[in-house]
Amino acid sequence: MTRTVRIILSSPLSITGVLLIGFVVLSAVFADLVTPFPEHSGTVVDFAKLNQPPQWPNIMGTDLVGRDLFSRIIFAYRISLVLGVVVLVLAVPTGVTIGLVAGYLGGWPRFVLMRTTDVFLSIPPLVLAMSIMGVLEPTLMNGMIAVTVMWWPWYSRLVYNIVLAEREEGYVLAAEIIGASRLHIMFREILPNCFPAIITKMTLDLGFVILIASSLSFLGLGVQPPTPDLGSMVAEGAKYLPDSWWLTVFPGLAILIAVFGFNLLGDALRDILGNEQ
Amino acid sequence: MKAVLGLLAGRLAISTLVLAGVSVLIFGIARVIPGNPARIALGPNATKEQVAKLAAELHLDEPIWIQYGHFVRDLSRGELGISLYTNRPVTTDIAQFLPATLELVLIAGILMIGIGLPLGMVAAKYRGGFVDNLVRIVSLLGVSAPSFVWAVILMLLFAFYLPLFPIAGRIDTEFAIEHVTGFLLVDSLIAGEFRAFGNAMWHLFLPAFALSLSGIGQAARLTRANMVETYEKPYIEMARSYGFPAWRIARRYAFKPSLIPSLTIIGLDFAAMLGNAFLVEAIFAWPGLSRYGVAVILRKDLNAIVGTVLIISAAFLIANLIVDLLIALLNPRIRYARSAR
Amino acid sequence: MLKLTRLVAVVAALAALSTAALAERVLRVDEVAVGELDPAKASDYADSMLMFNVYDTLVLPRQGGPGHVPHLAESWEQSGNDYTFKLRSDVKFQSGNSMTAEDVVFSMERMQTIGQGLSFLFVDVESIEALDAHTVRISLSRPYAPFLSSLVRLPIVDKALVMANLGEGEGEMKDWGQAYLSANGGGSGAYMVESHNPQDETVMVKNPGYFLPISDMAPDRVRLRYGLEAATVRTLVAQGEHDITSQWLPPEVKRALVSDGNQILTEGGTGSFYFKLNSQKAPFDDVHCRLAVANAYDYTSGLKLVEIAEGVAEGTPSTGAISVGMFGANPADQTLSRDLDGAKAHLAQCMHDPADFSIEISWIAEVPVEERFALLLQANLAEIGIKSSITKIPWAVFSSNVESAENTPHVSQLFVTAVTGDPDTLLWGQYHSTAAGTWQSAEHLNDSEVDSLLEAGRTATTDEGREEAYAALNQRLQAIAASVYVFDRQTVFVGRPGINVPALSDPEMAFGLDSMGFAFRLIEVE
Repeated sequence: MTRTVRIILSSPLSITGVLLIGFVVLSAVFADLVTPFPEHSGTVVDFAKLNQPPQWPNIMGTDLVGRDLFSRIIFAYRISLVLGVVVLVLAVPTGVTIGLVAGYLGGWPRFVLMRTTDVFLSIPPLVLAMSIMGVLEPTLMNGMIAVTVMWWPWYSRLVYNIVLAEREEGYVLAAEIIGASRLHIMFREILPNCFPAIITKMTLDLGFVILIASSLSFLGLGVQPPTPDLGSMVAEGAKYLPDSWWLTVFPGLAILIAVFGFNLLGDALRDILGNEQ
Repeated sequence: MKAVLGLLAGRLAISTLVLAGVSVLIFGIARVIPGNPARIALGPNATKEQVAKLAAELHLDEPIWIQYGHFVRDLSRGELGISLYTNRPVTTDIAQFLPATLELVLIAGILMIGIGLPLGMVAAKYRGGFVDNLVRIVSLLGVSAPSFVWAVILMLLFAFYLPLFPIAGRIDTEFAIEHVTGFLLVDSLIAGEFRAFGNAMWHLFLPAFALSLSGIGQAARLTRANMVETYEKPYIEMARSYGFPAWRIARRYAFKPSLIPSLTIIGLDFAAMLGNAFLVEAIFAWPGLSRYGVAVILRKDLNAIVGTVLIISAAFLIANLIVDLLIALLNPRIRYARSAR
Repeated sequence: MLKLTRLVAVVAALAALSTAALAERVLRVDEVAVGELDPAKASDYADSMLMFNVYDTLVLPRQGGPGHVPHLAESWEQSGNDYTFKLRSDVKFQSGNSMTAEDVVFSMERMQTIGQGLSFLFVDVESIEALDAHTVRISLSRPYAPFLSSLVRLPIVDKALVMANLGEGEGEMKDWGQAYLSANGGGSGAYMVESHNPQDETVMVKNPGYFLPISDMAPDRVRLRYGLEAATVRTLVAQGEHDITSQWLPPEVKRALVSDGNQILTEGGTGSFYFKLNSQKAPFDDVHCRLAVANAYDYTSGLKLVEIAEGVAEGTPSTGAISVGMFGANPADQTLSRDLDGAKAHLAQCMHDPADFSIEISWIAEVPVEERFALLLQANLAEIGIKSSITKIPWAVFSSNVESAENTPHVSQLFVTAVTGDPDTLLWGQYHSTAAGTWQSAEHLNDSEVDSLLEAGRTATTDEGREEAYAALNQRLQAIAASVYVFDRQTVFVGRPGINVPALSDPEMAFGLDSMGFAFRLIEVE
């Protein structure tokens, strides 16, 4: 663990990643304290300051109803992070369990589980999530469900492939010989060996979940106003290009910064934990 | 070759099975959509009888498995029902809108390979150095923003501030190209209109580039990783010790083996681009199937949703099939490994 | 990179050259997707633009005032519920076929059978028959005073052409030509369809055989493009590559275009913008709570939200429940205004205590400008102590939720337009108790006095009688505050200089019917 930390801190790129994520997470957690207008995350209207370009104290300008864009972007990070974490908390255990069972048991469980996984994987991810959001009312909770439904198959595929290799390893055979239960072998013996790959993927995915969620709301299928959301800000602002460029450029950069941070860190982890897809 | 054909047959069978699964899944999703599509389509002034009549025509009053039966029967005749959004058969809509999307995605795919692979090669050659880090940052940036953000940024820079590229549409209105295939690049060549071809290409560039950026990043990173791995193989060391020129080593010995894993990811990225086209088409007013897809989802147009998703999934499966075939052709070992499994 | 830039410059120069070489007058306009070409299914603005240019109707609205003038019909007579039309004999369809009474009969039957679009206007048509080649008699099953105005929504279709192009379908008439007419024109109109892609563009060219003279200045070719993004339209107009914008641009973008020197074009007098108050749900089941909201709303600030230029907004001040210019409307200077004390007084009389409820103000996701009205109303209501929340609802969800009063939000914001220009098509669908539960009638109003006045307006035989009925209705609707009458709709487009559209710029030439202003034959391109 300390080795990992040391290696991360030795590369300027991963330090940048840590700093970016630190900025995003801390500002989101303490949004009420760090933003100049925390009340602007809700339904506030200031007719005196509609659609203003960046200037003090609105360093990123104001939106069409006069709310401070910087404050709204920081609050949007909060929603994005909650969404990302919840999706992974739901998707990873589901996908991992399915992958483990399919890979270790083989036979008909493998056929059923992996073909189901294939069905989900053969609809382009965004299209699947869109179709689901089309059914559900666009709320934060349903957004999480839609993204979770499209996310778990990637973990079952990943774990399945690892298990196929691990199954033949000596320690598994040894456990089988001494008569350990299948559950024990799957979850106690094989699963820990999947952790490095899973953790790396989770770090990268936290960024990608934020990205997909913003894409959904860009299409009008995500979190609804007045809740601030980066994707819908870009979509709404895009109508006012090129005059009111700040409405799109800043939320767009905000997405870029967050996802870039997670990517830098995930990349570093991948190098350290030494696994390629 | 025989083995390759066998592989193809097997993959086709599985793909068909998967596609059937997709149809059940998406049909189920589309049918539980709340609200009465007949009412939405007919508008507020329609009488209750009119709504009931349309609902009956759409079989909305029957249980879902019977509806699915109707759907399969129609599908076997090559019909996907009527879209309530355009009031036309869904197949007509798809035939009209799909080429625009495919053209966009194909060009984006070419950009992804044409830019991503060389970037990865350069990075691998100078690994650990400045160029390597630069490529790494660039490719990470590429994957770190959704394609709609890139679309907006590119449009702002190269269409608004520097008006180098057009901002909307597939071709300038002055070119009246006869629609034979629906692919403007092909149609303009058929008509022998090279200026129209150039014009269509010019319209394609920004949206295709925005769409390909994340793919470029992926392809570059992957190629680099695979080449670095191959560079450490003994036969490369040997070639180096014989004093072969560096670029020859890179091209002849390191690149080819690294191509195979890259191809797999390219197949996946192609799929992602089919989805992401939804985002780019919206910004560039691209009259493709993805824009149609968004519109019909928002309008709960059941037949059109099912049709669009099925077609996109089929395109995705076919793309992966092609990639698998290419891999099998490039490297027989993979074929054996697969049949062993 | 330099090479690429140079190449691009060359291509651009070539493109510019070839455009200049074409001496053709082209008009480029846009609308939202999709454009429905089949006239029996036309319902929204884009569809109507296509319909009014590719097809003709028996009568046209009179320009600059109420009433109707002959068009395909030379003259008509009414006796009781029977209308007899004498048709022009010199009209040829674009196919070259002559227009006869058979075509009129066919068009009506086709409209009624397909049963979509605006066919509800013709449910009371009991029979239609061709008395001779150029005489048609239409009989209604019950009196319907505004019937003549409905005929502006009955485009006359080329029967012979359709019969020659029937697609697959059951019965003798197969598909009634639906497949053919969704991709091709089949009318006598001033413009012929050259190509049609419902999601991309419809190209139309001038019909040289049109039965009325068309100015040489009228566009030779019209490109109606669908689904352009606001930013795209803004740039195309600035670059001189687009002529008239759609009405759907956000006010900020129109404002920017106008300040660049483009002209404002308007179309009005056909509808209003409403906050619909759900009368079946507490607290709006009490008329005083509704009146409190109607008095608390700041009408003047609301118009400021959609102001395009000094004195021009996407609406004109409201004077009551009926848009200025229609039967029963109040005079234009008698505008509604905010009355905070009145609002407080009504709230005090309301049986519900504001401490006990919170209002749900909804806005339609596809109409983002409504979010601002929601925020304004929320601020206004807060001043009299009413709490509220704001929800965004996609159109598809809204139009199905509204079927039950329970699922309808307290406040729904809607634009409603009279599809024939007559107040009957504006008001009946909104306020008659039998029409409750559609997006137009989110009030779920059930008021017997309103019902009987609406029926009186329909059946009165004279204009005076109708005026009287609608004036009484207007008073009643205001007294019970069925809705907040936010503003009279004024549709605003932005046109490039050098485009002359009298019907959208000169009140004396205005048609009083949505989208009729886009009769391309009356537009001049310099």
